[in-house]
Amino acid sequence: MPILRVEGVTKRYGKFVAVNNVSFEAQPGRILGLLGPNGAGKTTTIRMVTYITVPDEGRVMFGDSEVSPVSQENMGYLPEERGLYKKMKVGEQLMYFAELKGMNRTEAREKIRYWLDRFGALEWVNKKTNELSKGMQQKIQFIATILHNPKLLILDEPFGGLDPINAELLQNVIMELKDEGRTILFASHRMEQVEQLCDDICLVSRGEIVVKGALTDIKRQFGKNTVMMDFEGSDVFLDELESKGAVRLGSRSTRHAELNLLGTTTPKHILEVALPHVSNITRFELVEPPMREIFVTAVTKQQGEQAAATV
Amino acid sequence: MSRNKIFVVAKNEFTKRVKTHWFVITTLLGPIVLVTFFTVVGFITASSLETTEKSITVRDETGRLATELVDTSGKITFETTQASDDDLKTSVLNKEVSGYLVLPEGLIEGTASASYYSTEGGGISNFSGELRSIVRDAVRLTRLEDQDVSRDVFDAITANVSLDSIQLSDEGEEQGSTAAYAIVGGIMGFLIYITMLIYGSVVMQGVIEEKVSRVVEVIVSSVKPFQLLMGKVLGIGAMGLVQMSFWAILIAAGTTFSGAIIAMIAPADAVTAIDGAIAGAPSQAEILESIGFTVPDLGPEVFIFFVLYFLLGYLLYATLFAGIGSSVEQQQDAQSLMIPVMMPIIVSIIFLQAVIEAPNSTLSVVLSIFPFTAPIPMVVRIAMIDVPWWQVGLSVSLLFGTFLGAVWVSSRIYRIGILSYGKKPSLKELIRWMRYA
Repeated sequence: MPILRVEGVTKRYGKFVAVNNVSFEAQPGRILGLLGPNGAGKTTTIRMVTYITVPDEGRVMFGDSEVSPVSQENMGYLPEERGLYKKMKVGEQLMYFAELKGMNRTEAREKIRYWLDRFGALEWVNKKTNELSKGMQQKIQFIATILHNPKLLILDEPFGGLDPINAELLQNVIMELKDEGRTILFASHRMEQVEQLCDDICLVSRGEIVVKGALTDIKRQFGKNTVMMDFEGSDVFLDELESKGAVRLGSRSTRHAELNLLGTTTPKHILEVALPHVSNITRFELVEPPMREIFVTAVTKQQGEQAAATV
Repeated sequence: MSRNKIFVVAKNEFTKRVKTHWFVITTLLGPIVLVTFFTVVGFITASSLETTEKSITVRDETGRLATELVDTSGKITFETTQASDDDLKTSVLNKEVSGYLVLPEGLIEGTASASYYSTEGGGISNFSGELRSIVRDAVRLTRLEDQDVSRDVFDAITANVSLDSIQLSDEGEEQGSTAAYAIVGGIMGFLIYITMLIYGSVVMQGVIEEKVSRVVEVIVSSVKPFQLLMGKVLGIGAMGLVQMSFWAILIAAGTTFSGAIIAMIAPADAVTAIDGAIAGAPSQAEILESIGFTVPDLGPEVFIFFVLYFLLGYLLYATLFAGIGSSVEQQQDAQSLMIPVMMPIIVSIIFLQAVIEAPNSTLSVVLSIFPFTAPIPMVVRIAMIDVPWWQVGLSVSLLFGTFLGAVWVSSRIYRIGILSYGKKPSLKELIRWMRYA
């Protein structure tokens, strides 16, 4: 049973429609990736889920009832633009956040110790925030988000500003929380992370949902239409293919390319064009498109359609 | 539960601030700064009323007045001269004399006027008034002499006439010096003004800081913006009350021992009077009266209303300041939005003097009932006179009602403002925010 159901939600600011008739669900024990270009309506959607704002139309259900101050106590929200009180000590600050979520002090104290220890940050408990590095502050903010055992976690760019070691630590904790059966809403522009972490995807553009479903299903729908290629030698064949409209290039470097096959282009055709130029081919694989490719395709398609509609 | 969250926010705001250096320093130094301020103001006022010793050169063209120029206080001395205007001007410009007075022929008959030349210009200062009265006395005396009236008659006419003003209250009792009540009222009004502004801007700073540091989005995912706003205003208000209570205790302690302190520094004859009085266990008031100061006998209701009006005034303005603070990202940007809110406070300070002079005038009554200006003039009036109960009741209810209205308006602006970044909004946009669902 989904714990979070967003049902036909619309939010306007004056004449601007920030979110238009959006519906999706988030299941316990799964991570839902909320994706979309800047200004697509992700933050507005999240703010309605967290009951910071209310929708003009539709409703947001948490469990059996609509979102309310009660549901807020069962959610943890890590916003993209986040901060801490600069002059408060880490321990006091976490205690304040816990109390705001309705926790009692004894329980909160225990949880604060546990999580600070888990993130190797126990010795910071009496330090003021402005004495901490950015990465340290990130960890404290994450702890503040999960202290009160929320059923639903909303993480907006949680890895920003973290070094690879701490990013891995955070990822492990997130996977752990997921395995415990929490529901996680994950918003990010980093498509590799989305691919690694998410079970489900909800892609919004201009306030509307353009792609929605399980990540594996979505990939299957798009089919194996992408060639991953590692090579040595000249890469002029890539430009040749692109200028003929046979492929669209995803990522590209001097020895690697991601080619999205267009129209009737076959892998064989690409090989034929490439062979006269390259000195060697070390990898040639037909795969499902990476998440970034799906993102770009879906967004350009929808925004193109809208642009066409206005003409 | 919702009240509970307001309490959590208020408690955090309170404890966080009470622990700061700012709080400790202002609490301890506040009374010193205040006493210094009033002493300096008093000193400057007193010294501007006092004329420093001056020597004035007089050219008496009537030949009769110079000998009659007498300053009873002995501060101004006169020297006669026959020097020309040019010479006198040079000596004034060279600072050899502070100024020179010309008493022309015809002054006694009233056909010419006396002139005083100095580098200070005279203006409306107290000195020129004193000089005028000295010259006037001399001229009048000479005129009377011309009519063969004896000097005794002149002295009899100019003998001091004094007027004591005594205030009658409803109970029919006469109270002490009205001046003392006016001073206490004025100080209380001024205190409300200062504290309302200081604590109000602490609230605004707190709101801006929370917004700029981006903590606010996490907070409002746990509490309603309204609860955050109220918690902040109440927590900082509690801090203000603690601070002011501490000051009140200091002041109470100060007045309890002030008699003894004044006795130590008062002139010897006054001390003898006190010594005599001490035998009969004198009251504080008696000690002070013995050196010529009447302690106003203020009932407890004056202090109750002082605290009540401080609280209501603070709540009203702090709430409005919080609404404004939420819409900007820098203190400076708040300035233009503050002007309309600050106007009533400024008006009530401008009319403070008028209210003290005529606490029962229509202006005073209107100012003390109109909610945005009420706190300062009403406290002044309550300290000075018996304000009719209906006026106090009406004023308090209107003020409280306006506070509730301000909470409604501010919390609607606040919930949009704290999450809006970028361009600073105009007053028009703030009004539009109020209409969003």
